[in-house]
Amino acid sequence: MASAVLKRLTSGWLPVVLLVALLLVSLLLMGDATENSARFGRMFSILLVVNVLGILALLALIGIHLFRLLRQYQRGVAGSRMTVRMVAIFAVLSVAPVLVVYYFSMQFLHRGIDSWFDVRVEKALEDALDLGRLSLDLRMREVLRQSEQLAVEMRDVSEALTALTLDELRGRSGATELVLWASSGRVMASSSADETTLVPSRPSEGILLQVRQSGSYVGLDPIQDLGLHVRVVVAVAPGEAAAEGRILQALFRIPARADTLATSVERAYSEYKELAFLRVPLKYSFTLTLSLVLLLSLLTAVLAAFYSARRLAAPIRDLAEGTRAVAAGDYSKEVPATAHDELGFLVQSFNSMTRGIARASAEALHSQHLLEEHNAYLEAVLGDLSSGVITLDEELRVQRANSAAANILGADPATWIGQRLLSLAPEGPVMRQVLAALRRRLEAGAEEWSEELELSAEGSRRVLVCSGTRLSDATSARGYVIVIDDVTALVQAQRDAAWGEVARRLAHEIKNPLTPIQLSAERLRQKYLGRLDAQEARSLDRYTHTIIQQVKTMQEMVNAFSDYARPPPLSLAPLDLNRLIGEVLELYRHSTPGARFQVELAEALPPLLADSGRLRQLLHNLLKNAIEAVADAQAGRIRVSTCSVAGDARPMLELRVCDNGSDIPGSIADRLFEPYVTSKPKGTGLGLAIVKKIVEEHGGTIWPEAQPEGGTCLVVRLRGEQRDADGDAAPTRALPGAVGAGR
Amino acid sequence: MRARLIAAGAVICALPGIAPAAGDDGALFSVERAGTRLVEDVYRLDAYIDYRFSPAVLDALENGVPLTVEVRVEVIRPRWWWWDAEVAVVSQHSLLQFHALSRQYLLTSLNTGAQLSFSRLQAALEAMGTLRDIPLLDRKLLAPEVQYQARLRAQLDIESLPSPLRPVAYLSTEWRLASEWFEWPLPS
Repeated sequence: MASAVLKRLTSGWLPVVLLVALLLVSLLLMGDATENSARFGRMFSILLVVNVLGILALLALIGIHLFRLLRQYQRGVAGSRMTVRMVAIFAVLSVAPVLVVYYFSMQFLHRGIDSWFDVRVEKALEDALDLGRLSLDLRMREVLRQSEQLAVEMRDVSEALTALTLDELRGRSGATELVLWASSGRVMASSSADETTLVPSRPSEGILLQVRQSGSYVGLDPIQDLGLHVRVVVAVAPGEAAAEGRILQALFRIPARADTLATSVERAYSEYKELAFLRVPLKYSFTLTLSLVLLLSLLTAVLAAFYSARRLAAPIRDLAEGTRAVAAGDYSKEVPATAHDELGFLVQSFNSMTRGIARASAEALHSQHLLEEHNAYLEAVLGDLSSGVITLDEELRVQRANSAAANILGADPATWIGQRLLSLAPEGPVMRQVLAALRRRLEAGAEEWSEELELSAEGSRRVLVCSGTRLSDATSARGYVIVIDDVTALVQAQRDAAWGEVARRLAHEIKNPLTPIQLSAERLRQKYLGRLDAQEARSLDRYTHTIIQQVKTMQEMVNAFSDYARPPPLSLAPLDLNRLIGEVLELYRHSTPGARFQVELAEALPPLLADSGRLRQLLHNLLKNAIEAVADAQAGRIRVSTCSVAGDARPMLELRVCDNGSDIPGSIADRLFEPYVTSKPKGTGLGLAIVKKIVEEHGGTIWPEAQPEGGTCLVVRLRGEQRDADGDAAPTRALPGAVGAGR
Repeated sequence: MRARLIAAGAVICALPGIAPAAGDDGALFSVERAGTRLVEDVYRLDAYIDYRFSPAVLDALENGVPLTVEVRVEVIRPRWWWWDAEVAVVSQHSLLQFHALSRQYLLTSLNTGAQLSFSRLQAALEAMGTLRDIPLLDRKLLAPEVQYQARLRAQLDIESLPSPLRPVAYLSTEWRLASEWFEWPLPS
């Protein structure tokens, strides 16, 4: 608070102007007072004190400003160097001429005062005074003689007549006042021309002493308000009327003209004398006043230098600060506008420049944001894409690779970024084969290609479509985009669909002639069996029987194709897999003496929602397949086992049907589940195809596993239902006859 | 110029020290005696002050500079817990000047206007130092049964000097002529 007031007092120009004005006025008054004028003479000392205090205040102000400026200078505040220089220049410019004027003023002052006094003038005045005295001496001698006569006349006057005589004598002698004292000092009588004077002026002890010694006194006496008088005191000798001596005092007026002249000479002499005496103090006083004026001017000039320097430097300081801010990256700084001069123009230009930079940088930032958003969007799209995408720059360095690419290639793409694609170390067989294919294309400098790669890895077959495009010149980025699609499932589905169509057509085309063939054969038999002899009849019977039997077989086969091609819709219901396995096994246990069944059914399987008819067929097909596999074996053994396996979201049921028969030939291992793929001499080749179809209809998976001790194990994995609190299985969605996820 | 600046500064420093100071060369005002009498319920002052001027002051007087001497009489009520209370103040101003034509010293009482002339300075100083029967204050103005003190001091009035002389007078001990306070109990 106090500091704020101090700051306002020291930084505002108004208090300073007031202070300077006050000082100026008091200096003017002091100048007047120095000349001993009546008006301000009494105020001289106060004015002196006021001025000195004011100048001290100015000094303090300057000190504060100087301190502040030097502190700013030390801190390196913008514009402080310039302010210091300007203050110095202004101060020197204003101080130097003032000092010169001061020096010459002092010279003139001293010489001027000295020149007032002249020995001749002083002598002349003294002479005039002496002359006055001489002329007055004559008058004094005359009135002394007159007074002595009066004293003689008074000697014999009795006390009773004293007053009367005095009046008469005064009238005759022309005295202004006559007083007769007794020697005791008592006034015996008095007579005065001035009626108002009641108490006569008494001569001093010195005069009385002189009268007692020499008998008379005569002297000039400047009586207040009455002018110059001659005072004569004479002793009155004792006479007849009075035994003791008395004293007579007579006052005579100097003639008016002589009085005026004498007074005038006296005043002139006296003033000259006083002035001469005051010469040195007067010089001091003038010097003092002049010095105070000088100090006032100097300090005001210095103070003004501070103000004007700061004012001039302010816009430059602002500009410097603004430049610093811009250099530091702060474009929001606006330099306050100043006057309409060149500096103001500079400030305006600076401001518009900063605004321009700020706008440009904001735009750049905005574009950068857009770009980032775009990149993020691209990243998200690429991330969600099921196709693997890899982009390469001109040097074939990996710029970007999405997660799908990593999944397909079985590697971590994050480690690739920035590396040359072709020099990457393959992290698996898939990647090695893909890289080999890419190398061929890239090294050949192909512009655009698309290639289907059939890869075999870890016993599985995968089909990848790998396409690449060289980025056109139109975009700034040059290089390649490589898209890798895993089309294994698609190819499989296509194959399945093709087979379905074949089966359907086959069924349709073959089924139609079969019935007439069968009917014809039956009629043939019926019509001619009775007419022929026994041997021929037996042959006919055998032939027709064969025809009918084969047609039946064909019909069954066609029905099977038809079922495969157009399965009836699923009817899902809760099912106990273990019980179903038991039922089905029961049929085979006695009819197949060559095989020994081994059953390992796990307790507490997850509930299963499935079509029981289809699952029964699945089991039949699997068991048939196994029985056929062990048909040639010495000790055929078929192991059927179930267990529950933890799945991703829900529990899985696993069914394993293993045999110790012949191994699956490598040539068909990949296409084991395709129709007409079989290693057996007889059989439609549809058994496992249908199995796979059923498994996929139920959203499960199936794969073969080679047994270490020989033989094959077919593993079916079906999705179980979540076990609810009340034991009911939640209804699952209807599973279409779609292709399940390939393994 | 520098010396003058210092002189100017010295004036400021000396200003607060207007306190009475003894001049050298025996130039001293001293109150020889002072006392009050009660005449018809009015306190009247009698005092004798010995004025001795310094040569510089005498020189100024001879050269026509009028001198004013102030005799200040105060009636105070002493207080132990605070400054003394001023009950009454009476100042007697006397003007002493030299009349060159008649070679007389004129003594004028500025209070009454009465003027006396002396051919010798000593006579004039004695007349100036003799105060007789000066009415001071009415007894009715004072509270009964309270002990009052009276005190008196004489000093040369520098402020009455011609203004050029004042700075010098304030700085010089020759000009700062004043007596000590002379104090006595006011008879009740």
